[in-house]
Amino acid sequence: MRLKLYQAPNMAEAMARVRAELGAEALILGTRRVAGGIEVTAALEPATAEPPPPPRPDPDRVAALGFHAVPADLRPLLDTGALDEALAKALPFSALPLATGDKPLLLTGPPGAGKTLTTARLATRLVMAGTRPMVLTADGRRAGATEQLAAFTRLLGINLTVASHPVTLGRALTRRTDGAPVLIDASGCDPFDAAQVEELRALTTTAAAHVAVVLPAGLDPAEAADLAVAYAEAGASLLIVTRLDLAHRLGGVVAAAASARLPLTEAGIGPGAADGLVRLTPAILATRLMQIRKPTHARASDGRPSYDRAAG
Amino acid sequence: MPAPLMDAPVMIVPPANPRQIAIASGKGGVGKTWFAITLAHALARAGRRVLLFDADIGLANVDVQLGLTPVHDLGSVIAGRTTLTEAVQRFAPGGFDILAGCSGSGALSALDPAHLDRALAALRRETMRYDLVLLDLGAGVERAVRQMAASADTLLVLATDEPTSLTDAYAVLKLHNSDRTGGDARVVINQAATHATGERTYANLRRACTTFLQRDPRLAGVIRRDDRVRDAIRRQALLLTRHPSCAAALDVEAAAQALEV
Repeated sequence: MRLKLYQAPNMAEAMARVRAELGAEALILGTRRVAGGIEVTAALEPATAEPPPPPRPDPDRVAALGFHAVPADLRPLLDTGALDEALAKALPFSALPLATGDKPLLLTGPPGAGKTLTTARLATRLVMAGTRPMVLTADGRRAGATEQLAAFTRLLGINLTVASHPVTLGRALTRRTDGAPVLIDASGCDPFDAAQVEELRALTTTAAAHVAVVLPAGLDPAEAADLAVAYAEAGASLLIVTRLDLAHRLGGVVAAAASARLPLTEAGIGPGAADGLVRLTPAILATRLMQIRKPTHARASDGRPSYDRAAG
Repeated sequence: MPAPLMDAPVMIVPPANPRQIAIASGKGGVGKTWFAITLAHALARAGRRVLLFDADIGLANVDVQLGLTPVHDLGSVIAGRTTLTEAVQRFAPGGFDILAGCSGSGALSALDPAHLDRALAALRRETMRYDLVLLDLGAGVERAVRQMAASADTLLVLATDEPTSLTDAYAVLKLHNSDRTGGDARVVINQAATHATGERTYANLRRACTTFLQRDPRLAGVIRRDDRVRDAIRRQALLLTRHPSCAAALDVEAAAQALEV
């Protein structure tokens, strides 16, 4: 408490000085007559930012975060309050920039992460929404990669442009019309291989593209974090998660987004071309994190392990 | 079927505990030690068995004010050289007992909270023969002071009308409010020009407490400014013996009486 005495010839003047010096919050403790006028005792209690006692972690939450192997440094941020809100604070989330006129979006990632299928799904979504995207593949290395994507573009009734080299890619992009969204399916890239990173950078620069890294869910958290950081250093600025439906433990997804500060955008949640990819929101991630899926180790009648899937 | 007699509740009468009254001020130099001594004297004159415990951490001076040369002090109790009972000294002129502090040693503040808790529990256990134990706390609001204030049954906060004293008294009340929510804390205004001005000083402090802390400390007494207090202190004498009918003496006796309520 700050306590101060004010003497003035009259009350109005004394009060004016109190307000001027201590502000409207000042409390008048008392007034008394003194020789030559009036004395006002005023006090101000600075807003004591006494921190409220930290809320107790929800035991179910703690158990779930433990099961998913969410990195220890993130758990205190996530174990209290509404989980979706906590996730929105702890991790970056964003939409993919696929509006008309946006820079091209180039998808990279480790081999087999699901880049091509994701490209096909994004193209499908755009076509169904009435936009005809320009789809390119720079994946000339993998046998059948072009064929896989072409199967989708044929169904969608759009062209697929093959441009494995930065020069051909650049030339292809000059045919972009009316700022149509551009999807580029790059080949698999090892972010720890300098030559492959160089190749990725060349494509990115030529296309002046946003780079989204496609990572499967279910990776070991430390491994996922290493990969995400390496891709971010190679120029990636967005994160797409695949196989969210198949993974039991999502600590890797959380670790990748957190350690590389890569915004979570889309997630693969099923086989459908149109509905197999959803915007990965804090709410969806929260719901999935609260699910503890454990293999039952029982054998189904066909001899394969069956899994006890939590509902939802 | 009527309940058998054996099932009737047994009433347990607890042994009478001395009431512990801590005296604090926040700011030093407002007459706290003098007030503690005179209050102890007034209570003793009213027939109470009183122990005055000089818990003025670091700078104990009850013994100095009374011209005593204690054989043992709190330091020897904490060091284990003597028991608390042995360390207590009878102060015959006042009719009360004194447990001297240990001036300058900082023995109390050096105790960790758990150790101090045990010392306070021992103080309660070994002072059963008294009606009242007064703790003269040190100035300031350091941890050991707060802990002792919170452990007492009643806290008396002494203040004068000086802004610094009021601010510090408020700080003591605020900390006591968080250390012991709902505890019994009361205000004594010292060195007041008149009862009316003293009550106005209390009203100011009370308004701050009710507004900022949602707490309403009672007024335990207004002690008027009196030159005979200084005279008694200078002569290392008791005010109630030397000037029994002076204004300050009457006011302390009234405060002692009001304490029983």
